[in-house]
Amino acid sequence: MPSASDTRSSTAPDDTTGPGGAGRPAGAGPWRGRLTTGRLIRLGAFLVCAALLLSFPSMAPNPYILSAGVVVLSYACTATAWNFMGGFTGYVSLGHAAFFGLGAYSTALLIRDLELSPFVAWLLGGVVVLVVTIPVGVAALRVRGASFVIVSISFVLITLLVFQGWDAFTGGSNGLVVPRPFPELLRPEHHRVFFYLFAALLGVMLLAWWAIDRSQFGMGLKAVREDEDKAQALGVPTRNYKLAAYLISGTFTGLAGGMYALWFGDLDPIFQFSIMLGAYMVLMALLGGVRHLFGPLLGALIVGSALEYFKMEFGDTQLHLVATALLLALVVLFMPDGIIPAARDLVRRFGPQQSSIREMTAAELLERNREAAAEAAARTAGGTAAGGTAGDGDRTDDGGTDGAGAAGSGKEEER
Amino acid sequence: MNTALLFQSLVLGVLLGGLYALLAAGLTLYFGVMRVVMIAHSAFLILAAYIAWYFNQQTGWDPLFSLLITVPLFFGIGVGMQRLLITRLRPATLTMMSVLLTFAIALFIEGMIGFVWSGTQRRIQLPYSGDSINFLGASVAVVKLMAFALAALSLALLYLLMKKSRFGQALRATIQHKEAAQLVGIRTDRVAGLGFGLGLATAAIGGTALSLDATIYPSLHWHWIGPLMAIIVVGGLGSIPGTAIAAMVLGIGQSLLQVPLGTTWAQTLFYVALFATLMLRPQGFFGGRLAQRF
Amino acid sequence: MTTRTTTGTGGGSTAAPEPAAAPRSLETVGLSKSFGGVHAVDDATVTFHHGKINALIGPNGSGKTTFFNCVTGMIAPDSGSVSYRGRDITRKAPHAIARGGIGRSFQLCRVFPRMTVLENMLVAVRRDRLREMFTGSRKPEEVDKARALLVRVGIDHLEHIEAGNLSYGQQKLLELAGVLMADPETIMLDEPAGGVNPALIGRIGTLVRELNAEGKTFLVVEHNMDMVMSLSDHVIVFDRGRPIAEGPPSVVQSDPRVLEAYLGI
Repeated sequence: MPSASDTRSSTAPDDTTGPGGAGRPAGAGPWRGRLTTGRLIRLGAFLVCAALLLSFPSMAPNPYILSAGVVVLSYACTATAWNFMGGFTGYVSLGHAAFFGLGAYSTALLIRDLELSPFVAWLLGGVVVLVVTIPVGVAALRVRGASFVIVSISFVLITLLVFQGWDAFTGGSNGLVVPRPFPELLRPEHHRVFFYLFAALLGVMLLAWWAIDRSQFGMGLKAVREDEDKAQALGVPTRNYKLAAYLISGTFTGLAGGMYALWFGDLDPIFQFSIMLGAYMVLMALLGGVRHLFGPLLGALIVGSALEYFKMEFGDTQLHLVATALLLALVVLFMPDGIIPAARDLVRRFGPQQSSIREMTAAELLERNREAAAEAAARTAGGTAAGGTAGDGDRTDDGGTDGAGAAGSGKEEER
Repeated sequence: MNTALLFQSLVLGVLLGGLYALLAAGLTLYFGVMRVVMIAHSAFLILAAYIAWYFNQQTGWDPLFSLLITVPLFFGIGVGMQRLLITRLRPATLTMMSVLLTFAIALFIEGMIGFVWSGTQRRIQLPYSGDSINFLGASVAVVKLMAFALAALSLALLYLLMKKSRFGQALRATIQHKEAAQLVGIRTDRVAGLGFGLGLATAAIGGTALSLDATIYPSLHWHWIGPLMAIIVVGGLGSIPGTAIAAMVLGIGQSLLQVPLGTTWAQTLFYVALFATLMLRPQGFFGGRLAQRF
Repeated sequence: MTTRTTTGTGGGSTAAPEPAAAPRSLETVGLSKSFGGVHAVDDATVTFHHGKINALIGPNGSGKTTFFNCVTGMIAPDSGSVSYRGRDITRKAPHAIARGGIGRSFQLCRVFPRMTVLENMLVAVRRDRLREMFTGSRKPEEVDKARALLVRVGIDHLEHIEAGNLSYGQQKLLELAGVLMADPETIMLDEPAGGVNPALIGRIGTLVRELNAEGKTFLVVEHNMDMVMSLSDHVIVFDRGRPIAEGPPSVVQSDPRVLEAYLGI
């Protein structure tokens, strides 16, 4: 039935999270037309941003800035990888640095001990992380909420202990030197190549996130985030879904770690298995907005640039801890949904055109609803009992519409 | 390992377990009243140790006297933290977001300690620092014994407070069933604030005890939070006796393993215990049904 | 005791259609669950009838909701067994039980607050093949089915509103529609009339009756006696974690044990 196709036109773009994140249209001409305009704008913005990002290496004034760009991009990779778990399921892991470190060390050790070619080792490193993630995920996902966070922190602490303690194999605190994959390249060229490699990895992750976001699997994961018991009761195999998300998230983080190892060339457990790295991932994703495709990327650009700037201006002081702490506390207290929804609401609040559409929506809803109710009444007006129902329905429906209108306008004020 | 060494480790394990038990009791209090996992607990522990060290530096008095400052100060901070910060979080995401918030507080404290007192390692030198007592063949440092006595005394006080006083009753009622406690007229928000203060006071006492005997540095708290978290999960979130037993068992275990394995590997015991608990009994070995849900 | 008589047949595992008017639907044998010494469900042996509207009533704290949670796999029972149409489902995962044809609602209505009404419906869509799981979540026929159900409960005009912004009554209707989306054969409702206005109670009652006429079995936990007595075919009374009486509403209503449990006479 053609129900509510025009209400959809006004609200659907709000619900989408990425380019083309809207569901497949179920017909309805005007809807498709309007969305295409929106899509064009989105696509344009996306292309401009991508072009800006990709032209960064040629615009960077010196190799130092370029290397900072690589670092920021590696942050973007890890934050996006984190968001496969944190964003979809709402399970906050503070220990994702463990996957990063495992990926980095696996890659490095596979090159050193098995003399594999760097990128084969990198891929195998991802497989190693995947294999390690399975038992960890099975154990960690037996509990929810706070216990899960505890387990995730414990995991990074235990890996740190092991990699520091087992120094015969890992080099311990003396560090581990990774052979450079392109020994013939000069340093700026090396940075440039890795900038694009990280960008490609990020692209793959974003594509995967986007695909999951609009899949039934993603729907199940989001249901877990909203209400896990309820999702189970509706038949979502929550345990397997969560485990799958955890594996994807861990493996991608591991791949980012492996890439970092190849780029940076020197590993130390203190930095690779640092709880701070895990905290940065959470902060970046939260700051940008965990429910949005580009949220972690945006957060990484902001936090990553700030961190690099801090490092350059103030050197290695404790102040970056304080700054990170304050920013994290502010985000948690005042902006737990992140910048993207906050900015969108700001735009919506100051766009008069938008609000008029809102009002129209309420009116349209009322109209639509009357029609639908009448139609329903006509359809079910067979027996007396059914007729009674439709009459009942008419009354509650009207009440419902008022509620919806109020909810629609209330939403704008509330946010 | 000969028996003398074994006994020595056992005694040291008990002494360590006592401190763990006190600190884990604090964590359990926060979790009980607010369902908050307080990552910053061990950061406050280190802060108290630093204050004790600084107090000793400045006045030359015994660091134990710094308790007169830190205990009321931390109690106040705890109440303020609950009333001003934790209650601002949305109830729906309270558990996750409070973890992040307290994590931020931990980082803040670590950063500020490093900023104010620098990252240098610190240690209090006391006239009795090197003294030890012979106890049935085991040689036990006096400072360790004092630390244990302090922890045991505080735990006993906490126990009496919980069992005997009206406030303790209200606190236990709030921990067990918040809505029911509200129904019988307990102002659970106030109780939660005081519970937080009490929890943080254990960190003040623990930190002072720690300062007698340990070399301290700003990032030391990460070495404490992991074991403490493991203890409260193994013991069953929300159960004070459970965590006390787990603290003792794991403290002794760590102390015994230290001899053959060394300090680094002995610490992994906590994580092994944590993962074993999750696989065998996710609700903890002594806890109720709360644990798995939070 | 009336409930004991059903135990004899409950042991048999065959789902052979019985000649009696009421074939067995969900059954429990000796189901027990205690929380720290409190016996929430205590050796409960209950049989619900297939194709009927079964009601489970009892005073507050008599273990109805715990019983519900044990049956749907949310809580693992300490002992005893649960079977559904002859198949043992004790300790099965909640989603497996749901996929086996038992849908349920929650005591204080639960929806996914930050998903739209339509998305709330589509969560229940079941995909078994890996490829289907990862392709787009909205097939036109599924969306149509969801819309049809929303029309049926009367909230189709709200499909793009976030569920958290609905009124309580609308959320109740949405929850019911979401349960129906998975095509369950048996529907367990935990206090469907709790906290909603009389008009809506009537509406929910009518829906239940219609769905029952279409062949759905209902297990309803309810406090609203008017609703229970007018709606149900079979009433089971719980007290202190176990059934104390059962039968048609009129019989149960006058049972002295029920009066005792409720009024404490």
